[in-house]
Amino acid sequence: MVQFYLDAERLPAFTAHLMTQKTVIAPHAKGQKSFTFETVTEPDQVVLDYPRVMQSIRKFFLPPREELLTFDLTENSYEVTDVEPVNAIFLGVHSYDVAAVGRLDYNFSVGSPERNYLTRRQGAVFIGVSFVPDAYHFSGSVNIRPEDATGCDIFLTKLFDGYVLEVHTEVGEELVEGFDMPAHDAGRPTTGHFQQHIDVPQTKLSEIMEQSYDNAVWEETAEQCVGCGTCNLVCPTCYCFNVDEAVDVTVTKGHRERHWDGCMLRKFSEVAGGEVFRESLASRQRHRIFRKFKYISDTTGQPWCVGCGRCTAACPAHISIVGIVNRLISDHGQAVVAPI
Amino acid sequence: MNLNELLPSIEPQSLYAPVMAEIKEIKRLTSMEVFYRIEMPGGEDLGHQPGQFVEVSIFGVGEAPFSISSSPTLKGSFELGVRKAGMLTDVMTRLQPGTKLGIRGPFGTGVDVEKFKGKDVLIIAGGIGLVPMRSMINYVLDRREEFGRLIICYGSKSQKDLLFTDEIAKWEADPKVEFHVTVDQGGESWKGNVGVITTLIPSLNLDLTNTACCVCGPPIMYRFVLMALKSKGVSDESIYMSLERRMKCGVGKCGHCQINSSYVCQDGPVYHYPNLKNLQEAL
Ligand SMILES: Cc1cc2nc3c(=O)[nH]c(=O)nc-3n(C[C@H](O)[C@H](O)[C@H](O)COP(=O)(O)OP(=O)(O)OC[C@H]3O[C@@H](n4cnc5c(N)ncnc54)[C@H](O)[C@@H]3O)c2cc1C
Ligand code: SF4
Ligand code: SF4
Ligand code: FES
Repeated sequence: MVQFYLDAERLPAFTAHLMTQKTVIAPHAKGQKSFTFETVTEPDQVVLDYPRVMQSIRKFFLPPREELLTFDLTENSYEVTDVEPVNAIFLGVHSYDVAAVGRLDYNFSVGSPERNYLTRRQGAVFIGVSFVPDAYHFSGSVNIRPEDATGCDIFLTKLFDGYVLEVHTEVGEELVEGFDMPAHDAGRPTTGHFQQHIDVPQTKLSEIMEQSYDNAVWEETAEQCVGCGTCNLVCPTCYCFNVDEAVDVTVTKGHRERHWDGCMLRKFSEVAGGEVFRESLASRQRHRIFRKFKYISDTTGQPWCVGCGRCTAACPAHISIVGIVNRLISDHGQAVVAPI
Repeated sequence: MNLNELLPSIEPQSLYAPVMAEIKEIKRLTSMEVFYRIEMPGGEDLGHQPGQFVEVSIFGVGEAPFSISSSPTLKGSFELGVRKAGMLTDVMTRLQPGTKLGIRGPFGTGVDVEKFKGKDVLIIAGGIGLVPMRSMINYVLDRREEFGRLIICYGSKSQKDLLFTDEIAKWEADPKVEFHVTVDQGGESWKGNVGVITTLIPSLNLDLTNTACCVCGPPIMYRFVLMALKSKGVSDESIYMSLERRMKCGVGKCGHCQINSSYVCQDGPVYHYPNLKNLQEAL
């Protein structure tokens, strides 16, 4: 692995260099406090110093709405909608969001590998950037450090007025080729400490969940929770969807589309006859938390929550996922005193 | 878990593209249920197991899961029994033979018929649960020598809600079928049993060492049937249950059908009861 020093002032030039090779998608400021990943048109609009983007880069591989097929009602025929690889450089992604893409990769390739997701996913290149944990991040508790370069082709670690640029793959080598940077050999700093922690090592979580099926915390959070599904909507590893039909005004053509859905919504488990299999908000909250820390994790050995803190930050009822998990831990007398 | 390492080994599939199949026959079963016989292009067999389902779609209306009601022994076409429950099912009742529907599947895990071979087969079907169970019933009838006794318990709301009445008449007349039926509400013309389906179970004469049982019905039914079977001495290992959940994709992606960690569209709809015991949300 080679290391360079990238001066912050040269970031636009570096971005422009990348743009000569592929589409670049990077964080942009949106209003005062929000940030969002968008295709770069002006290199100097890219913001690498951001707490978190509202929507992770999931939206590029699993769009909020996605046409599956178009149909012709007069002919009763259809065509499968073409899917193009996103084939872009994702510049400035935080480690937990890169990890989240890895989780989605698993979900869409296990069992029946899905063409739509896997096609979009092709050609994606990741340039990670370190972050300073804020009041919501807790990815350290699921073994994802701010400077973790796993899954990245290039990784940028913030120094005072520049970045340590590490090249991790051959793809990364090609990207920096022709862009002059001084070598860097002074190592790289760790970038700050987490304010939020899960109180046991990640490996213990599955066991804690195993004992928490009937914990009182589900009912207690249900008293505050309004069942809005925002926590699902903002989660970078949520992938559940619904499918709907849309018919044009001419009533001769239309399309079938899928859109994001959420297990916190009442309708999610409703069947004909009116039965709702997860009627109580308590059972829905448990399902959400178990999906993040138990169900898939029991098979893969990895938590499906990457510790981004979005669901807590966005919850109108101020329900904290770390709060829930720590409560389950303390109810079983499992907390380790020194936080990791 | 690097996708670039995974990609060469996976062959992505276009999972949501239906095959256009033609309705060959439509029959009204009751005021709410309609029977369809459907032919795949070129008369190809679906290649299903009893208990599996297909996703049926009409463009502009929607797509929904339906159990395959015919036995795999029926060649050249397959059958569905559909209850009017909403948009799609309502439009379906108004279709004519010759119309083409979108079909995806067969999906899910059905009845492992090998496990039933050589055994007495006990079918317990409540209401529309007879639609999927009919696939197994007809399979046993078509390969009668491979199975022991065939005992069917069927519960229906009332006489006018009974499904497949012409076939029921045949089962009643067949000396090799032990058919028991009950209705929740009797009526003047009803001479048979009145009461919920569990009332049929206590008087069954079962060979407990050699019976395999298959249960399908409305959500409320399972727990009560289970209690009745257990007090009869039926072992957990000999019970199979077909469960319903909301389903959209049918291929383990959309998340709707999940019971705890299990995807009903993959691991089910037919579950071996011992595997359901650690799924708290199942019954
Ligand atoms: C494995 C399986 C096998 C089934 N087999 C049969 C069968 O053999 N015969 C039969 O008549 N019905 C069967 N169903 C139920 C059937 O799928 C629903 O009746 C159908 O989805 C209703 O669609 P709709 O568009 O008419 O209703 P909608 O207008 O969509 O809604 C009416 C009601 O149906 C519920 N519903 C909507 N979508 C689904 C869905 N995907 N799954 C379940 N409920 C849904 C809604 O919540 C609402 O309560 C089966 C369901 C499953 C999961
Ligand atoms: S965002 Fe908060 S209030 Fe909304 S469903 Fe999730 S936990 Fe409940
Ligand atoms: S569950 Fe919450 S904290 Fe965990 S990955 Fe999803 S949004 Fe982020
Ligand atoms: S129906 Fe979509 S995951 Fe089972």
